[in-house]
Amino acid sequence: MDEATLIHHAANGDAMAWEPLVLAHQEAVFRLSYLLLGDPDDAEDIAQETFLRAWNHLKRFDTTRPLRPWLLSIASNLASNRRRSAGRYLSALTRAFRNEPVSSTSIEEKSTRHLEASQLWKAVQTLSVPDQQIVYLRYFLDLSVAETAEVLKIAEGTVKSRLSRALDRLRGIIQQDFPVLVEPRDGQEGNNA
Amino acid sequence: MNELQQELFEKQLLSLSKGLDYPRTPEIAGSVMTRLHGATPPRFISRRLVWSLTIILILFASLMLIPPARAAILEFIQIGVVRIFRAEPTPLPPPDQEIPATTVPMTVTPVPTSRPLIPLLEKLAGEMTLEEAQKALDYPILLPSYPPDLGKPDRVFVQDAEGKMTILVWIDPQQPTQVLMSLHLIPPGSWAIDKFDPALVQETRVNGQRAIWAVGPYPLRLRNDDFEYTRLIDGHVLIWKEGNLTYRLETDLPLEEAVKIAESLELAR
Repeated sequence: MDEATLIHHAANGDAMAWEPLVLAHQEAVFRLSYLLLGDPDDAEDIAQETFLRAWNHLKRFDTTRPLRPWLLSIASNLASNRRRSAGRYLSALTRAFRNEPVSSTSIEEKSTRHLEASQLWKAVQTLSVPDQQIVYLRYFLDLSVAETAEVLKIAEGTVKSRLSRALDRLRGIIQQDFPVLVEPRDGQEGNNA
Repeated sequence: MNELQQELFEKQLLSLSKGLDYPRTPEIAGSVMTRLHGATPPRFISRRLVWSLTIILILFASLMLIPPARAAILEFIQIGVVRIFRAEPTPLPPPDQEIPATTVPMTVTPVPTSRPLIPLLEKLAGEMTLEEAQKALDYPILLPSYPPDLGKPDRVFVQDAEGKMTILVWIDPQQPTQVLMSLHLIPPGSWAIDKFDPALVQETRVNGQRAIWAVGPYPLRLRNDDFEYTRLIDGHVLIWKEGNLTYRLETDLPLEEAVKIAESLELAR
């Protein structure tokens, strides 16, 4: 059964048709929430809530459109609200006070690739929330410009101009604070960050 | 950045971001389907809340079988907007009674962690200077004058929690990535805060008024009409009320010191 048919069944109250759709998109929704919030528990809460809200509003969803951008749009809004909430502060404090062994060697054990990706994420986290959203959608989740426009409910041209500005800022931050991303890797010429 | 540079930078981002180590995606579909079949209203309920409530319900049900426990279990302690539910019928130690050191399990004392907090604080909304905060609020910000070298808070947040809640954060000068203590000023009508059966709850006094000293770990729930948020708190918290405001001081310091800090609050100079 294709996605449009499953959505149609689900919109008519068939919960069993909703499950494969959740399975198909849960990873992208969870990952976007995780990128925006930085906490897997928070991300799981947001992902669950996203699919429940989408289920409740399926009748209003245009089944000719792809589902993923709509789900990511809901998740992005919920995550933005969550990070503004007082609960977020408690979450941060709790993590700080919790006795979680953090391995000092974990970074060393990670491959260069993981380390660089992690540094890149840290650099993106210093951007404004709207800049983060667009960078995560376009590059971390590898959405097309059209899909990114659909998620953010803006024109494709606006996506391009916003991306261009966000990339300018990100490049400046990387050059100033994340030298590991600027230094050329073995066998490579200096990169463009 | 010219077009070529942007194109190369975009390629680099696409390539680098693929190396990010995401946590394993949890069983979201199963949880969603369970909630759909259970006709649970769509609202924020964290996994921890579900677990906490499940445990509390089991405990509640088993204790309700014991007649003397019934009256005690249905009661809760309230200080300002904070309610503390106790699952044990044990009476509170009186204010003057010293708590034996052995009462507090060693595990509840937070062990310093190397996990930096500061980047997480960066994500909080509502940060402003102390002066800006004071202008934005319709109540005065009182600051502790004890310990004498404490100084002004390092970070100040004002968040709209159906009433402007102020959060003052002092960073540990010895460990600049750690929070030394935080003080919440919560106006009336703000979010209700529920704590469920802390490891230790002791009644005490701040400026002669009733106050509560709660020691984690315990589930703490913030809620208003359409939002609920639960987290496990491991810290020590002193809660008291002055005028219309509820104060919540979270610190690793012992009760005696926390009370001294609470009683030293005065108008910021």
